Amino acid sequence: MKLRYAKRIDFTSSYPDFEHFEQFNQKVIELIRDKEKAEVVIVIDRAYGLAPKHEGAHLLSDHLNLSGDNPLVGPNDAIGQRFPVVNNIYLSAADTINQEETWTMGNPLSKLRSGIAAGVKPGLRLNDEELALAYSMGAHFYNWNTVPTMIAAAHAGLKVLAIAVPEGEQLSDAVVMTIRR
Amino acid sequence: MITTAPKTAADAVGQLKQISSVVPVAAIVLGSGVSVLDDLHDARVISYQELFGLAPGVAGHSGTLTIGHTEDGPMVAVLRGRFHLYEGYDWPTVTLAARAIVEWGVPNLLLTNAAGGLNLEYSVGDLMVLTGYRDHLNPQLKTTGLLPAIKIPPTDCRNSLSEKLLEVGEKLTLGSKEKSLQQGVYAGLLGPCYETMAEIEMLRRLKADAVGMSTVPEMLSCDGSATTAAAVSVITNVWRPEEAMGGHEEVLTASKNASKRLDRLFRAVLTELGKA
Repeated sequence: MKLRYAKRIDFTSSYPDFEHFEQFNQKVIELIRDKEKAEVVIVIDRAYGLAPKHEGAHLLSDHLNLSGDNPLVGPNDAIGQRFPVVNNIYLSAADTINQEETWTMGNPLSKLRSGIAAGVKPGLRLNDEELALAYSMGAHFYNWNTVPTMIAAAHAGLKVLAIAVPEGEQLSDAVVMTIRR
Repeated sequence: MITTAPKTAADAVGQLKQISSVVPVAAIVLGSGVSVLDDLHDARVISYQELFGLAPGVAGHSGTLTIGHTEDGPMVAVLRGRFHLYEGYDWPTVTLAARAIVEWGVPNLLLTNAAGGLNLEYSVGDLMVLTGYRDHLNPQLKTTGLLPAIKIPPTDCRNSLSEKLLEVGEKLTLGSKEKSLQQGVYAGLLGPCYETMAEIEMLRRLKADAVGMSTVPEMLSCDGSATTAAAVSVITNVWRPEEAMGGHEEVLTASKNASKRLDRLFRAVLTELGKA
């Protein structure tokens, strides 16, 4: 797996080297499924409602799809299986260490906390009670676009490096450089 | 793209009445890879295409309805396959077969499904009689998300038919090496992808014992009707963090292997229902 063969999707409109989308839609699926050589999708999305002790940007380690929907509903696209297995799709910082070259200053991605995202319907803001429920189910924050993107990517046989950035925050230059590199 | 069946439950019942003047004592819906009652006497077969105007498109579902009777047993209708929400069918289509069974006046509906085991005490091939279910696939949840569904406890679906399954199952295992039937809560999810490990852990916290992508719409279709519905899950895998998750082939193999036990169970239950 080579990170250099990565499709880069940004839902935060912050990173110039990425394809920008306001929210997950059919065009995201088309980008994931196009024939451009890729093994990984790098996704940057907003994180909302971070649990206590989960400040800052996160690498997703797993997710709960709480949206009530799934991008694969409908006739199956021949790019993938009817019933895709979506475990072990998210890449960890450790997974990226030996991908390209040895990080001379350490791997900045490893400084990000990892967490579990609850994927909810785009635009939905959870109230305190709903947040508490999401935390009790294992989520550390919620976001709108990463979960359907990951499902579409997994179906297409791609791994996902997903980064969730809280509102009003940016990824550090080191992380951005790492992704660019 | 949402697909609606071109025929109604009334259309289907009209055709079924032409095939059989006798209303079966039970209808059985078979899920992925599950195979029972393959040797019905005086069998009459009609395809879903003819009956509902649609054929199921998932491997392991033949898409036929067979009416016949077991040896010395009552008349039964066996439905091989179902329509799923994940295929893009709307709720009326997914519930069409069950609504036709209700409208036909069939007093008992036995549903089967292939399900992933959440309960760590389960083994592959176990049969679980549903005592409850969680509805995490209702299209209404597209508007609200799953959180409202998570908040509510499972729906209790124990009734005379599920009790009959357990009672007959107990008798069949007495004195044999066969494992007793499990009983538990089924979580119906939209699919079509299998669950992430975080979702599996969430469902375990919600006290679900098995998870699948069907059955709940059919159970709901029988609510308030004269048809009593009960369901049996064939446990096709048990998800443990240290084990890789299998795919649909594994599901079909496990279903096939458990079908013999299910066949014995259903034949015995049908005999009992025929006596009633």
